[in-house]
Amino acid sequence: MSFDWSVVWQHRDALIAGTATTILLTVATMAIAVPCGIIVAILRLYGWAPMRALATAYVEFFRNLPLILVVFWAFYVPPILTGLGLSPLATGLAALALNVTAYNAETFRAGINSIRRGQVEAAMVLGMNRVQALRRVVVPQAVRRILPVLASTWVSLFKDTSLVSVIAVTELAYVSMQIRAQSFRVLEMLTAMAAIYWLLGYPQAKLVDWIQRRFAITE
Amino acid sequence: MNADTSPLRPMAAGAKIIRYRGVIKRYGGFQALGGVDLDVHAGEVVCLIGPSGSGKSTLLRCTNGLEAIDGGDIEFEGAMLPRDERALRAVRTRMGMVFQSFELFPHLTALENVAEGPRTVLRNDLVEANRRATAMLAKVGLADKASSYPSALSGGQQQRVAIARALAMEPDVMLFDEPTSALDPETIGEVLSVMKKLADEGMTMVVVTHEMTFARRVGDWVAVFDTGRIVEQGPPTQIFDAPTTERTRDFLSHLGWTG
Amino acid sequence: MDFDFAVITDHWRFLASGVGITLLLSVVSGLTSLVAGLVVALLRLYGPRPLRVAVVLYIDSMRAIPVLVVLVWSFFALPILTGLTMPPFVAALVGLTVHLAAYAAEIVRAGVESVRPGQTRAALALGMSRAQIVRRIILPQAIVRMLPAFGSLLSITIKDTAIASVIAVPELMRQSETLAGQSFQPIEVYTFAMLVYFFILFPVTRGVDIFYQRVAHLGRS
Repeated sequence: MSFDWSVVWQHRDALIAGTATTILLTVATMAIAVPCGIIVAILRLYGWAPMRALATAYVEFFRNLPLILVVFWAFYVPPILTGLGLSPLATGLAALALNVTAYNAETFRAGINSIRRGQVEAAMVLGMNRVQALRRVVVPQAVRRILPVLASTWVSLFKDTSLVSVIAVTELAYVSMQIRAQSFRVLEMLTAMAAIYWLLGYPQAKLVDWIQRRFAITE
Repeated sequence: MNADTSPLRPMAAGAKIIRYRGVIKRYGGFQALGGVDLDVHAGEVVCLIGPSGSGKSTLLRCTNGLEAIDGGDIEFEGAMLPRDERALRAVRTRMGMVFQSFELFPHLTALENVAEGPRTVLRNDLVEANRRATAMLAKVGLADKASSYPSALSGGQQQRVAIARALAMEPDVMLFDEPTSALDPETIGEVLSVMKKLADEGMTMVVVTHEMTFARRVGDWVAVFDTGRIVEQGPPTQIFDAPTTERTRDFLSHLGWTG
Repeated sequence: MDFDFAVITDHWRFLASGVGITLLLSVVSGLTSLVAGLVVALLRLYGPRPLRVAVVLYIDSMRAIPVLVVLVWSFFALPILTGLTMPPFVAALVGLTVHLAAYAAEIVRAGVESVRPGQTRAALALGMSRAQIVRRIILPQAIVRMLPAFGSLLSITIKDTAIASVIAVPELMRQSETLAGQSFQPIEVYTFAMLVYFFILFPVTRGVDIFYQRVAHLGRS
């Protein structure tokens, strides 16, 4: 058994490009999923009944589906239904965003709900209206609870970008597996793929730990 | 006057169950106990009173080895308190401890809680352990709550189950760490009644408490703590009616104690 | 636009076998990762220092590496190292267990550490040994506290089995891909798959919630 690790170095440009795409997908998805998640959470908490039902249905639906299936569905179905074809990258981004928005909506909703009623009442008896109470009392506290969960979701998202490789988006996983197929250096490429994810993901995981410690709730 | 031979200490004729000699306990740079001397005789109810943080609870936790002392000696029934965990376990079976936060095991019913010690530690069989447990629950007046979980019991009821749990081990001494501090006023009485009953039956008890009326009426000997030392000890009549130190007078007046 | 769901009914056995594999893989890897996670957690909590460091490294690594990567590595790369070839199902089982056990271990650790220290003190005061305390007092309470997180992990497990399609495990996702490709009816097939997954996952999460509500008091000390 001989291993040729130079194949990793030879294809470093492709791997770097793939890594960049992975990072891009992660950032772009979060950039969409945070504001959208806030909107959906607000609809669930404060909207009229039909809006609430719709928002809840959306959240429950996407939290109970495998992401890989959503990716496939997003790739094959809309082009047939609407005649529009999005690039694999855009499709992957859309699928990821739909998925993460649902999780974020639940995070924001739970974060806001976890603030005791008494806090809002205390704000109101001081004379604040609902909006002020939300802005100055509830949201600052909710942010402390939400941030650690959001950080955790971020790391999960980073890993989930690997799933869009199944529709040939040229992120790290796809690129690695292509090189493997072309060079037949299976162990080397797959190990390199794991190692690159590890190098990027490990610090992120430790950062999440730090955030969770820093924002730990002491009541 | 030597505390041991004071004529006001009727129980002093009995065997010394616990002897504390120069007990020192440090937490890092902070000295929680700075040389405590105290005797506990058979059948005596010794009450430890004093401001929060004065070392009363610390002394109790050192007594059954939950904390290790840094200096001095603790003797239990004539032998030094061991440092070895196994030997310490054997000693603990002869001491019962009741906590401020009850610490009932939430996944067990009241009966199971009380039977847990006999079953797991004394290795009684189930029938014997349950028999003991039933008897102890009846003793604290909660025979009808045997199959209730702690979450269904009031604070006072939980604490009484905790007392039954300690009694089921048939200890030689009962250690109470602020047993009523976490209770609603309505339920304090039921717990103190149980403790008085135990005292009347001759149980040796060391009680850390803020309930001055209890210490006055049920205690045989009272030790006043302040910053890790005993500033005064004597019979309740002395401590509460005619304290001999400034510190004791201060402490009692801060509590609004008017006798 | 008309939809022809006959493709589903015509091939229901094909799809049903996929569902069967999904459920089988979920249950088995759920169990193996639970057991492995418990062992890992106990090592982390009570093991000797070098072992603890290794365990923490393993757990944090699984937080960094995607399931897809672990599965693909288990199926394609592991046989090269060990000389053993594994059928896809076994490789998926190995990969999923290795990945999920890390999360299970963290859940166990969090559960155990969330039990009040006073409980340990009370048990010590009765004269119990450390081993007895962990077994009879800590773990029973901790297990109740872990239930919501484990329910969530079960949900994740079921979703992760779909990724095993990438290494040709004939679970529902894979069967759907095959059928959609052959029949040129991706809408019907994938929509059907979505419904199946939803109606498996939704009751699981709800069921765990309901069960937890009923037993939560057993873990509250």
